[in-house]
Amino acid sequence: MIQPAPTSQLFWTRRRPMTFARASLYAFVVLAVVSWGYILLATDSGASDVVSSETWSNAGNFVRQLSGVDSPVRPAYLEVDRWLATGRLALNTLAMSVLAIVLTGIAVLPTFLPGARNISNGDLGGAPSRTGAVLYHTVRLVFTLTRAVPELIWAMVIIFFLSPGILPGAVALAVHNYGVVGRLSAEVVENLKPGPARALRAAGASNFQMLLYSIFPQALPHFLTYLLYRWEVIIRTTVVVGFVSAGGLGREFRLSLSFFHYTDLALLIMWYLILVLAVDLLSAWLRRVVTKGG
Amino acid sequence: MGRRELRLLESRRLLTLLLAGVFLWSLSSVDWKGQLIHTGGVAAFWNFLSALFPPDLSPGFLRLALTASWQTLAYAVAGITLAVLIGFPLGVIASGSVSCSPGTGLGLAVAVRFILAAMRSIHELVWAVLFVAAFGLSSLTVILALALPYAGILGRIYSELFNQVPEEPLRSLRASGASPFRVLLYGRLPMALPDLLGYTFYRLECAIRSAAIMSFVGIRGLGFEIQLSLNDLLFGQVWTLLLFMVGMVVVVDLWSTRVRRSLVS
Repeated sequence: MIQPAPTSQLFWTRRRPMTFARASLYAFVVLAVVSWGYILLATDSGASDVVSSETWSNAGNFVRQLSGVDSPVRPAYLEVDRWLATGRLALNTLAMSVLAIVLTGIAVLPTFLPGARNISNGDLGGAPSRTGAVLYHTVRLVFTLTRAVPELIWAMVIIFFLSPGILPGAVALAVHNYGVVGRLSAEVVENLKPGPARALRAAGASNFQMLLYSIFPQALPHFLTYLLYRWEVIIRTTVVVGFVSAGGLGREFRLSLSFFHYTDLALLIMWYLILVLAVDLLSAWLRRVVTKGG
Repeated sequence: MGRRELRLLESRRLLTLLLAGVFLWSLSSVDWKGQLIHTGGVAAFWNFLSALFPPDLSPGFLRLALTASWQTLAYAVAGITLAVLIGFPLGVIASGSVSCSPGTGLGLAVAVRFILAAMRSIHELVWAVLFVAAFGLSSLTVILALALPYAGILGRIYSELFNQVPEEPLRSLRASGASPFRVLLYGRLPMALPDLLGYTFYRLECAIRSAAIMSFVGIRGLGFEIQLSLNDLLFGQVWTLLLFMVGMVVVVDLWSTRVRRSLVS
């Protein structure tokens, strides 16, 4: 006869196997405690500021200055010509994001196939070759290197070579996203079912024909979807990159902040939110077109 | 070929044309007549690349890079823990799975979804710049700025994962008289947990990058040191720091991949 164990015993005292995930969870908790301890004790944490009334009155002041209620001049976000002037910057920012995503796409398109393991080792029907292996490792290394470094740091480096404007910002965004989209696209190819490619191969298709008629059509919708997803991330980051590359809203954002033109700042934030919303909606619609065909 | 398919093809072609047009427009907003590359920009580029062979590997600088990496990691971990603490309850509400009455639950869920969307529509560094202006510069300000957009993303993904769990076990829990809260605790949570963990670990990798760029508002770490070395034109040091950055991201990436693999099996 089977004795049912009391539920309390089942839940609390049953020994659970120590899986890698469980060990990682514990390790993460330890890491979190140490990190918080370090930040609260070893850095200027500002924990005492949280309870001080001065901090909160300062914050209140900042919000009032953003809204411009105390100022004698009309707030910038009520002036049509200010909207138009900053609208040009918003368009520049949008152009930067489009340029970034297209540059990313152009760079990824010829490189994500050699970056897929099942292409380089001939699993999909091509012959395994030394060049394939070397190419695979090089491409993967470049993906990792570009992906690991954030856009803003790429922008700080690139501004040494390119003149300020929207181009260095777009290039910085593209360099980081090249690694992100490249890796994701290569993984899509690695997860493809080998059937169609092998069938084509068996029917006598050349390497190029196989790519063109089997692998590309299967991978392309995923590739476009990833690009569109990244566009949403990119539009949020354009302002940040603009802080150093001096293109679009980012530059004006920084200037308004340092000259204490707070109602201008509020206007720029409004444009920023409008851009983010517009790109999110546009990207969602385009993704539907790509996957479902309208 | 049916009419519908034909129309579809047409609309796709139209869309492609439209997108090409948008791209051309974006190209036209670059000032091509002006100087694209700095005078000496090409030389600076080669200087930068050649500084990789070898990067600055002096023991003193390696120690500095290690300290900076730890600082960045600490901010990333602190930010992600706060993001989980904010994002998890919001995600539960946004999933609409705990409610006393369906009407208020749904209304609350929509409101919370809107809040989550607002949190993630602003980049963490923009939050940081605004918070520093409002509260002054301190570690907590920056961690809050880091945590807000991450909580927005985590909350949305968590709510989606809660709603993706299979329905049958939940139904049997409900049939045995479990309250919505219990259904969440014993049904949705255990079933969604592997995916929740996997996704959170994935986000830790992104948080490292975000923590590094918080140097822009004056927080120490890898980004801060990179900025200093760039200002001094010490490209060898920049490469060392970049390699530390890459190393840290790769380690966390491998870690999170192994966690996800272990959760699947």
